[in-house]
Amino acid sequence: MPLLDIRNLTIELDTPRGRVKALERVCLTINPGELHGLVGESGSGRSLLARAILGVPGHNWTVTADRMMWDGQNLMEMSSKQRRNLMGSEIAMIFQDPTSSLDPAISVGSQIIEAMPTNKSLPFWKRGKFKKKTAEKWLHKVGIKNTEKVMESYAWELSEGECQKVMIAMAVANQPRLLIADEPTDSMELSTQAQIFRLLSKLNQLQNVSILLISHELDTLAGWCDQLTVLYCGQVMESGPTAELLKRPFHPYTEALIDNAPDYSGELAHKSMMQTLPGSAPALQHLPIGCRLGPRCPQAQKKCVSQPSLCHKKDRYFACHFPYHNESCNDDTST
Amino acid sequence: MGRYLLRRLNLFLATSLVLIGVLFIATSHFPVEQQYALTGIASPTAEQLALGRSEYKLDSNQFRQFLAYTEQRVSGNLGVSITSQKPVIDELIQVLPASFELAIVAGILAMCLGVPLGILASLSKNKITQHTIMAITLTGYSIPVFWLGLTLSLWFGVELGWLPISGRINLLYEIEPVTGFMLIDTLLSQSIYRISAFLDAMQHIVLPAITLAVLPFTVVVRITRSAMLHIMNEPYIRAAEARGLHTGTIVLRHALPNAFIPVLKNMGLMLGTFASYAMIVEVIFSWPGVGSWLVSGIYQRDYTVIQGGVLSVALIIIFFSIFIEVLHNAFNPISRKEIYAAN
Repeated sequence: MPLLDIRNLTIELDTPRGRVKALERVCLTINPGELHGLVGESGSGRSLLARAILGVPGHNWTVTADRMMWDGQNLMEMSSKQRRNLMGSEIAMIFQDPTSSLDPAISVGSQIIEAMPTNKSLPFWKRGKFKKKTAEKWLHKVGIKNTEKVMESYAWELSEGECQKVMIAMAVANQPRLLIADEPTDSMELSTQAQIFRLLSKLNQLQNVSILLISHELDTLAGWCDQLTVLYCGQVMESGPTAELLKRPFHPYTEALIDNAPDYSGELAHKSMMQTLPGSAPALQHLPIGCRLGPRCPQAQKKCVSQPSLCHKKDRYFACHFPYHNESCNDDTST
Repeated sequence: MGRYLLRRLNLFLATSLVLIGVLFIATSHFPVEQQYALTGIASPTAEQLALGRSEYKLDSNQFRQFLAYTEQRVSGNLGVSITSQKPVIDELIQVLPASFELAIVAGILAMCLGVPLGILASLSKNKITQHTIMAITLTGYSIPVFWLGLTLSLWFGVELGWLPISGRINLLYEIEPVTGFMLIDTLLSQSIYRISAFLDAMQHIVLPAITLAVLPFTVVVRITRSAMLHIMNEPYIRAAEARGLHTGTIVLRHALPNAFIPVLKNMGLMLGTFASYAMIVEVIFSWPGVGSWLVSGIYQRDYTVIQGGVLSVALIIIFFSIFIEVLHNAFNPISRKEIYAAN
């Protein structure tokens, strides 16, 4: 049984110019112990999806889904209190801006201690000390050496990388089963990025935490993830095991992403144009009907004005009327 | 931090010096003989005249006179009151605690009611609750305090007869002043009536304290509400929610300490208005505090009392403004960061 199973999730935003479907019929399946990558351009609705899974919607959202199952329980039917109980203990999330995700007015240490699980078997006067011990242990595990100093300081006294490690420690201390990492290495230098990714994949292997890793860099995700889901403009383009997906993409968008990745072999002529799809991603107010890639797609035909349903071929999913390699389509939405 | 505190101390001293300078210049323009305005002795003997001249160096130039004036005032010699012929400093010590008592009770009332109501207004999803609270605070903010005081004493004091409308305590009780705070002194006294005296003092403070608390209360509600609305959208609140903390914990532990910072800052800015409102309230309710003492001094052309009152009230305001700013920095680590960066 998959840990998280989402079918046809649609998020509509109320804007001054009417309702906009920011996410349209998104499907996502995460198996236990899987490192799942979610790749997409900025504005493609990756963070919306993450927040919808976690259950912290914005005030102008309308979330509808055919199915949104967490380990056999229906997330759509839960009360907000049940969702809140699930957060932190089962599903945890780390955000893209770690420094501002920590309260500036109290020290980092007291926030970590607050996030630690309470040991109910101890008498209440020993619990505080136990929490402090666990906090130090987890800080050690995420690779912070001078725990005392970090716990005494305020968020703005630490570097981005340290703050993100603190956030990860807080997220994983309650032993969640799914960790959503929303661009965890945004605005960090490469060596810190590598540290964070190593830490996440180590957690995945040692603690068997499923991780949903959200990023815009296909090549980074390709290096770390078992499964990839490609999102464009609020629609799922393609999803499947990383190696297969990169080797034989079915969807024109995935193909374009792989082709457009700059290769550093030096064969690119000086000042030549980088290869991209024509045009740019549409704004939310001017979304094309049907497949949203339509106007930019090299394969597009008349049929593309109706949205293709997610087809499924073994363990791969794609949403395209004219896939590469002439795959026959098994309509998955009816199952 | 030490350097910052030194700079604040320096600010306090410099402002006080300017204040004394203004008072010195004003004193020389009072329409009476200068020595009379300085010492306040109505019919001085020859020795007192000579002593006054030497104390205030009235034969030297203006600058030396100013230095002498500063020295006398700072060392606590405020002259004698023209009307009562008692030292001004003694009268001041009698009236100051009454004012502090009223201000503290009003301040506690404003904070204890204002902060929770502000939080309620910001967290409430119900439009009617929000608008009701905002309407009440706007009304409270715009009511003139003298009218409010008179109306309250008319309703609750005269027509309903629930509460006394003047003084600190019924004249029947004789309470030995120890701390000067009537609420504490009644409890400390050895009299067998001390409990009923305490209750009587409580009844006396209700109306003036409520009248004085209305303005800071409305300001606290509005500032708390706007600060909370802003803070509840911050990323760290969302992160705390994502960690599964309860809404109550988030509000109390993360939002409130951050929202308290602008509230504290605005209280510092409001201090001058608060002090002038306190004077009006003291006059309306005949509260024997520094305000009514100063106002009666002005009516009686009591020049030494005017000087002493203005000096003490202004010094207290300067001190507390700076104290609140220091507190603000102690509570707010972010502004500490700016101080470090400035050095």
